[in-house]
Amino acid sequence: MAETLVLLKHRDVPGIENIDIYEQHGGYAGLKKALAMERDAVINEIKTSGLRGRGGAGFPAWIKWSGIPKDTKKPHYVLCNADEGEPGTFKDRELMLKLPHMVIEGMIIAAYATQSAKGYIYIRGEFVESARSIRRAIDQAYKKGYLGKSICGKEGFDFDLYIHMGAGSYECGEESALMSSLMGERGQPRLKFPHAPLPIHEGVWQSPTLINNVETYAAASQILAHGGAWYATMGTENSKGTKIISVSGHVKKPGNYEVELGYPVLDMIELAGGVTGGKLKAVIPGGSSVPIIPAELCKDFKLDYDAHQVVQYSMRTMRLPVVGSGGFMVFNDKTDIVVLMRRTAEFYTHESCGKCTPCREGTRWIFKILSRITTGGGLPGDIDLLVNICDQIDGRSYCGLGDAAAWPIMGAIKHFRHEFEYWIEHKRSPVGEDCLPPAPEPLNPLLTLTPV
Amino acid sequence: MADVPMVNIKINGIALQAPQGEKVIEAARRINVDIPFFCYHPRLTMENGANCRMCLVEVATPRKNPDGSVVMAKMPKPQTACSLPVSEGMEVWTETEQVIADRRGVLEFLLINHPLDCPICDRGGECPLQNNTIHYGPPTSRFIEEKRHFPKAYPLSEYVVFDRERCIHCARCTRFTQDISGDAQLDFLFRGADMEVGTFAHTRFSSRFSGNVIELCPVGALLSRTYRFKARPWDLMTQKSICTQCSNGCNIKIDHRVSQLQRVNARVNEAVNEEWTCDRGKFGMDYVSSPDRITTPLVKRDGEFQPVTWDEINTLIIDRLQEAGAKVGGIGGTRSSNEDLYVWQKFFRQTLRVNNLDHRMGPHFRPTNSGLYARFGYHSMNNAIADLEKMKTILVFGSNLVDEQPIIYLRVRKAWRAKGAGIVEAVPRSMKTGEEANHVGEFASVRLYYRPGTEVALLHGLLNVMLYENLLSAERLGEIKNLSIVQNAVKSWAPEIAAKECGVEADAIRRAARLLATDQMAILAGETVTQHPYSEDILNALGNLAILTGNPGNINVPVTENNQQGAMDMGILPDVLPGYVGLDQPGLNTKQMLQGAVSGEIEALWISGVDLVNRFYDRDLARRALEACSFVVVTEHTLTETAQLADVVLPTQSVAERDGTFTNVERRVQRFFKAFEISPEIHPEWLIFSQLAMRMGGTAPYFSARDILREIAASVPIYQACTPRDLGDQGVRWHYPAANHTADLVGVEYRAPAAVSA
Ligand SMILES: Cc1cc2nc3c(=O)[nH]c(=O)nc-3n(C[C@H](O)[C@H](O)[C@H](O)COP(=O)(O)O)c2cc1C
Ligand code: SF4
Ligand code: SF4
Ligand code: SF4
Ligand code: FES
Repeated sequence: MAETLVLLKHRDVPGIENIDIYEQHGGYAGLKKALAMERDAVINEIKTSGLRGRGGAGFPAWIKWSGIPKDTKKPHYVLCNADEGEPGTFKDRELMLKLPHMVIEGMIIAAYATQSAKGYIYIRGEFVESARSIRRAIDQAYKKGYLGKSICGKEGFDFDLYIHMGAGSYECGEESALMSSLMGERGQPRLKFPHAPLPIHEGVWQSPTLINNVETYAAASQILAHGGAWYATMGTENSKGTKIISVSGHVKKPGNYEVELGYPVLDMIELAGGVTGGKLKAVIPGGSSVPIIPAELCKDFKLDYDAHQVVQYSMRTMRLPVVGSGGFMVFNDKTDIVVLMRRTAEFYTHESCGKCTPCREGTRWIFKILSRITTGGGLPGDIDLLVNICDQIDGRSYCGLGDAAAWPIMGAIKHFRHEFEYWIEHKRSPVGEDCLPPAPEPLNPLLTLTPV
Repeated sequence: MADVPMVNIKINGIALQAPQGEKVIEAARRINVDIPFFCYHPRLTMENGANCRMCLVEVATPRKNPDGSVVMAKMPKPQTACSLPVSEGMEVWTETEQVIADRRGVLEFLLINHPLDCPICDRGGECPLQNNTIHYGPPTSRFIEEKRHFPKAYPLSEYVVFDRERCIHCARCTRFTQDISGDAQLDFLFRGADMEVGTFAHTRFSSRFSGNVIELCPVGALLSRTYRFKARPWDLMTQKSICTQCSNGCNIKIDHRVSQLQRVNARVNEAVNEEWTCDRGKFGMDYVSSPDRITTPLVKRDGEFQPVTWDEINTLIIDRLQEAGAKVGGIGGTRSSNEDLYVWQKFFRQTLRVNNLDHRMGPHFRPTNSGLYARFGYHSMNNAIADLEKMKTILVFGSNLVDEQPIIYLRVRKAWRAKGAGIVEAVPRSMKTGEEANHVGEFASVRLYYRPGTEVALLHGLLNVMLYENLLSAERLGEIKNLSIVQNAVKSWAPEIAAKECGVEADAIRRAARLLATDQMAILAGETVTQHPYSEDILNALGNLAILTGNPGNINVPVTENNQQGAMDMGILPDVLPGYVGLDQPGLNTKQMLQGAVSGEIEALWISGVDLVNRFYDRDLARRALEACSFVVVTEHTLTETAQLADVVLPTQSVAERDGTFTNVERRVQRFFKAFEISPEIHPEWLIFSQLAMRMGGTAPYFSARDILREIAASVPIYQACTPRDLGDQGVRWHYPAANHTADLVGVEYRAPAAVSA
């Protein structure tokens, strides 16, 4: 099966990041159509399209859009989550870099639908080039009257768009932490419904706030341009439209691929040129937070929001997502799953914001145990301990990062328990030495204190 | 609470009603269901809380099916009871297998990096982490990796030391500095398991309320530098007491051991300090156990103090007082209990037959029942401290509030932060200290830093805006007599003119006037007003402002000393008896007594618990008077500079050593109780006076402070409700019988500050 290019259709057109070229390829048509419609009709179009959030959770976009209060007693805000920190995911980066106007157009449409006068794009701190591209695009959009006062001559519709750069925290991609960070507070999540009002009622500065992922907004612009019904013809019953999948790892042609939702996992690997360096061992299909799928099960999985893996533990059965943010990582049979999990655990330990007990303490504990195992110090009982720690984190933490730290470990132990056992028993890797991470580069001698 | 709708919920199958929005943990507590917690605190906001995860419970809520039937839907994840508001039909379970496992899990996580050095931890024995672990924790740990290490003691300030290893990151301390004290000096640094509490760039934790975090911390991470390693909690005895460091009268607990004060903790009194103290109080009570305490009566012979017995000293005092006859004066008393003061004035008035009594340190000595009382029927602070929360606007006028009234400062901040009151700060420029940790200016809606001496001009400017921009209720203005007096006085004070005179911005005057023009406005006037040469003018102008805005009962000129209010109430004033009963033939005031001592008209002076030389506004006069006076008695804890100049120094008991009552700034009469005794040779003042009076043929002796309080309640009408039994733990506020809230306007002319210095 081939790609279905909706968002990435004009990705390779030279100069598409410039407004004129973008307009020549149908850019801002969606916005113009939207402005000719009633606000509710715009939201209706999104509803018809069946668009679900592309940030990871797959929450139906129209519910958020239509939840923003109809009055404007308080100012409304539109936020774009461009913090893309999920390991394995790099679709937002490319969208912003190559198709900044598509993202901006989507946000303007959202602003129109929700009567917002201000919007913020919260861009991951490391994405300097993407941010530059967005900056240029915003300036061009102002010049053309797509931003600012009375947009496209529509009296009373004013919208200003600002960029906010993150400071290097994965957690700030979590929507409530993003809002804290945007308001200048510590990048920690805030209370969620039912403990506190929903962001659509009280988000940033206690005002109604719409927050969506970059890809969600980009899709909205295409939905308005071509119609919700058209968009809904793609994908599956519950997962309509297309999704950009960032393929990386042991494949010939890593990169972003746009496919219809419901695309089979194995076909995805083929689309990216097939496995290199060995046979397929496993796939992490939706970013590091999503549990790993071993090669023999890959044929059973399709990339859509219904797909899930069942992981069972002492007290509960969990249905864990497959698509997530679309970070599709392929591993060949030289991969040591325990070392891979150690690296994953290191990431979550490093990125835990520290607010809540289970994630703050548990992630580091997991990392320490996995480090011990992969340096030959594993003990019998470590596997059950790991499972139990994950069980104590999952669902007990303040925000989704804790869950996301536990799921991959739970999944890996479910499918690759024997590799953990091998490490513990033999104190070495089941797949040979070359799987181990390379030793860190020696320090630049000029930077050391010892004279050369 | 009355208008909050009630919802029906079930906790562990027990049906109950709870006000909508109440947190599950609070509802559970009302039916004695224990939900363990660390980070939850009813006075701290939850926005940055709900992080310890100790209070997880299982919850189900009713959900309507499309066909209209209702099913109970269990929430897939356990919920934090400390932040979850109750809702109609909610069901909560706190003791399921799952919840028990979750609590174990959280405690295991909290303990993996905890040093477990309970045996040398100040908190050991009263530690929520220990207690919760005993009740809910796992018996052992499965953690065999290396724990996190930090140097044990990191000093945050002079008072607080921080043991980072013990911190469980509950954010109580950080939230305190953000929500309550407002300095926001504590916050988290770094993230994840490296996260630690700290101050910005390792600056000093200079909050005026830093000590509270020691009590808030649920583990032994934040520790008192004065108490660290001094005692184990189970060796301490606790007594209810009242802080003596200012007039606010915070309720405290004195923890003592081997007749020594070990530490001071706050005691809850919603009307006064809620559950806070300021650092001055928490760390300033150590004088009680100072090694410098005098423990026997001292008499000066050949320039040296020598110890003598009470019998000897009493004989000497009686001889000398009899010699002096009516040429006797008494000064001080703001640190004494109401009982001491009552017996003191009784001794002076009935036995010695003089009215030369005064507690005031100057510079002004106006007739007690003039001024504010003559006009409005009250003397100092009319509002209750808690009333400030109900105000829409609070005017802080000429007061360095956090210094003068620390706990009132917290209440003003609460009024602003929790209740949305607007704060107008009008203070002389010298008080413009925006960088200080705790300062009204930080949250005031309008700040007016005026040129000292231009207070009246500023108030005229404010009234000018209110009157000429029609901000005041026409109905009220119609009822006010003599409106023209004020209209004329302020007519020429358009905001631009007032602004120029005062050195503030005209726009700020306009904005302030808009905020102040409400009938829920309270005025807090401070020491720069009471000590001002034209303080009467300022108070008159403030009175006009209060009348015109409809707030005649909301003028507050709070006293500042420990029991200054009690000294006034008990008649330590030359012109009134206890209860402000006027005297036809007033005695001498402090200044007159001291002048009299210099000129020989006063031969004996009794100084009670005040370091006069350093406190009287004219140090030189005080010194000369004490040197000239032939017989000076000082009752004191230590040999202060004033005591050094005395002929006789009598040791007196501190607040920790006796029973008694103080009357705080809002006229709340509050009891304190004896905690320990330092020496049987140290007497309470009332006993000293009572024995002297008896030997001089006066009244029958008293046997306890309770006796005296009963007599006060029986003989001083305003203290009628203040019997020992009625006071209870939280005290009773006395009220003016007929506060006159329909006072008239008076004309005030502005006198320029140049004239002041002349
Ligand atoms: C730890 C964590 C990190 C997240 N990071 C991102 C992110 O980088 N980008 C993103 O779009 N959503 C991220 N999310 C999801 C957001 O919280 C939120 O669901 C999303 O912004 C909603 O947008 P959508 O409805 O368009 O998906 C993260 C969630 C969690 C729990
Ligand atoms: S799970 Fe807890 S510690 Fe982890 S990122 Fe979320 S709030 Fe922070
Ligand atoms: S804080 Fe509590 S648990 Fe920790 S060492 Fe002190 S007493 Fe023990
Ligand atoms: S120092 Fe104490 S109060 Fe502050 S976060 Fe740590 S445990 Fe909580
Ligand atoms: S007490 Fe509820 S999470 Fe800490």
